Amino acid sequence: MAENEERLRRTMMFVPGNNPAMVKDAGIYGADSIMFDLEDSVSLPEKDAARVLVYEALQTQDYGNAELVVRVNGQDTPFYDNDVKAMVKAGIDVIRLPKAESPEMVEKLDQDIAAAEKQFGREAGSTHLMAAIESAKGVLRAADIAASSDRMIGIALSAEDYTTDMKTHRYPDGKELEFARNMVLHAARAAGVAAFDTVFTNMDDTEGFYRETEYIHQLGFDGKSLVNPRQIPMVNKVYEPKAAEIKNAKNVINAIQEAKLKGSGVISMNGQMVDRPVVLRAQRVMSLAKASNLVDEEGNYLEK
Amino acid sequence: MEIKKTAIAGTLESSDIQLTISKADNGISIDLQSDVKKVFGDQIESVIKDTLAKLDVKDAKVKAVDKGALDCVIKARTIAAIQRAAETTDTPEWEVL
Amino acid sequence: MQLLNLKDHEVFREWKEFLESLGISNFQENELAQIDSTLGMYNDAGSLVATGSVAGNVLKYVGVCNKFSVHGSHFNTIISSLMNLLAQNDIFHVFVFTKLKYSQSFQHIGFNELAHTDLGAILETGDTDVKDYVHRIPQQPNQADLQVASIVMNANPFTLGHRYLVEQAAAANDLVYVFVVSDDVSLFSTTERLALVQAGTADLSNVIVVNGGQYMVSYVTFPAYFLPTPDEAITYQTTLDARIFKNAIAPGLNITQRYLGSEPFSRTTGIYNQVLQKELAPAITVHVVDRKQASGQVITATQVREAIAQNEIATVQDFLPVTTYQFIQKHLTTLQARIQKGMTIHGN
Repeated sequence: MAENEERLRRTMMFVPGNNPAMVKDAGIYGADSIMFDLEDSVSLPEKDAARVLVYEALQTQDYGNAELVVRVNGQDTPFYDNDVKAMVKAGIDVIRLPKAESPEMVEKLDQDIAAAEKQFGREAGSTHLMAAIESAKGVLRAADIAASSDRMIGIALSAEDYTTDMKTHRYPDGKELEFARNMVLHAARAAGVAAFDTVFTNMDDTEGFYRETEYIHQLGFDGKSLVNPRQIPMVNKVYEPKAAEIKNAKNVINAIQEAKLKGSGVISMNGQMVDRPVVLRAQRVMSLAKASNLVDEEGNYLEK
Repeated sequence: MEIKKTAIAGTLESSDIQLTISKADNGISIDLQSDVKKVFGDQIESVIKDTLAKLDVKDAKVKAVDKGALDCVIKARTIAAIQRAAETTDTPEWEVL
Repeated sequence: MQLLNLKDHEVFREWKEFLESLGISNFQENELAQIDSTLGMYNDAGSLVATGSVAGNVLKYVGVCNKFSVHGSHFNTIISSLMNLLAQNDIFHVFVFTKLKYSQSFQHIGFNELAHTDLGAILETGDTDVKDYVHRIPQQPNQADLQVASIVMNANPFTLGHRYLVEQAAAANDLVYVFVVSDDVSLFSTTERLALVQAGTADLSNVIVVNGGQYMVSYVTFPAYFLPTPDEAITYQTTLDARIFKNAIAPGLNITQRYLGSEPFSRTTGIYNQVLQKELAPAITVHVVDRKQASGQVITATQVREAIAQNEIATVQDFLPVTTYQFIQKHLTTLQARIQKGMTIHGN
């Protein structure tokens, strides 16, 4: 697991890497993560141009606090090596490996990143990575993949290729993804990394989008991949904590502070011991509440 | 770097710039078309020239059709076009990116 | 954005209906056969919203539905996609023939208009242009002081009739440019025609033979699929041809004279000559020279090609300079094989 502090990853917005208008504006929609794509959205003759464009944009554009991710081309393509080198040099936060099917593939990426960090004088270990699970093989090895690198921040299910591999296609109810979603989620949780759900492409079906987002929220995914910025507020709404959750979380946080003041190693609330998972959940609820503008920096509830 | 053949990079879409670079024997010439040429023409040309200079291109004919590209886009398209024209796409000049 | 396979009936039907809805109506076999690739853009609902094709280095059948397009963005997208497609085949010099009302749209994305009429315009863009073309043509040091004449010919192949026209011009002017039309629909290739004109005029010291490139566009190769009637097409094509010559070619070379052979047979060539006289004046004086006769017959290249097809080249020996005749003798089987393979010998 690449970092200790848990970061919000409700929304990972896909941005076609060769489209200057979208690359330029990617920061204005408030996505938690921005994923610049050098892979499927870029045609073969434009691979070089997209790589340079994303590189230059990363040097100059302000993407705020968003986590910056680049999906490089697969290891079986002639573009992979230069993609990885350029993005490490650019100082990207995370490199996303498409079509991950084995821990060896992630280990190779890990080594390639390490070599590039050395070549371009970047701090060793500063570049994180994530893996996209896009096939039956990948799903069955998700646990090994998720645990295969110290740089790993999360794994994502990519449903288009996966459903093709499974000889089916996507249905509105998502039943065909049930096994894969649970596998990816369990693999991520077991390895202590984030789990990203796949994209929902039918922009006209708002109801279906909410249904799917609520479902993956219920399962426990950190968030969802998106192709359209209009979906960002929709996902955030689903991930918004309820008032009662915030109240409870604030109590937990207060209890932690009280314990600190007392110099006590044991946190208790209403006479009961508060254990680690409860603390983590409370912290997560409060960071979601802040991100949703429900509370201010001090944790005070904001009336809307 | 030597321009070996004509190459094009970028598109005519909004926020992009289409750059055509071809051989020349007498320095750098830039033919720029842009809706904002009056205000930003000099700046666009200077980004192109700086990038050519960084990649050590001494002779080139450049045709640029700007659709409101930011400097970083102009630089990126210039680099891509030069690398294609010099046939060095697979071996990028990392130090000048 | 995707490549459209027009051989797929379903795809072709949708493409054709889309263009017809935009007022493009000519889908004749000879126009369609020239298309190398076609791109299409679809909206989320799966309907075609923009298309364009390339034929050699010419953009054709460009159609954009602007209903859902912001500020012509679909147009810009389709044109730059076509240009990138051509670039992959190392084609960077691109022409388009279009309705006049779209000329501005093309100029807005870097195309330069070479000429226009009320019916349509011809534009070019890319890594070279007509200025480069004129610049590459050899000139005399004192060209500005010379009386310079010009002849445009297909010379398929070069006959004594052509030679006679060149001689007339050479005798009356200081310098004569002979532009040989470049196309790939003639029995004799452009390289062969150019070489035969050079060989057949080598003794005339004030004659310079030049490849007409794509600016001396043979009117038979002008696309006119967006024009409703054949007569309009001919007038449009010949007018454009004349205006390009007058505005973009002649001034840089100080050309003030143009020589034409009289045209007793072909209606289209007849129209062409009339249009030239009307368009080129007064900057360029047009001289129509009566056709040379041999054995009581007007010399035409058509007869020469027929004789090749009939394997009776001796019958046209009197029509040809020695250089052309020897070339035909030497390559007779090759030329006949081209005719066998379907190369038309009629027309120009």
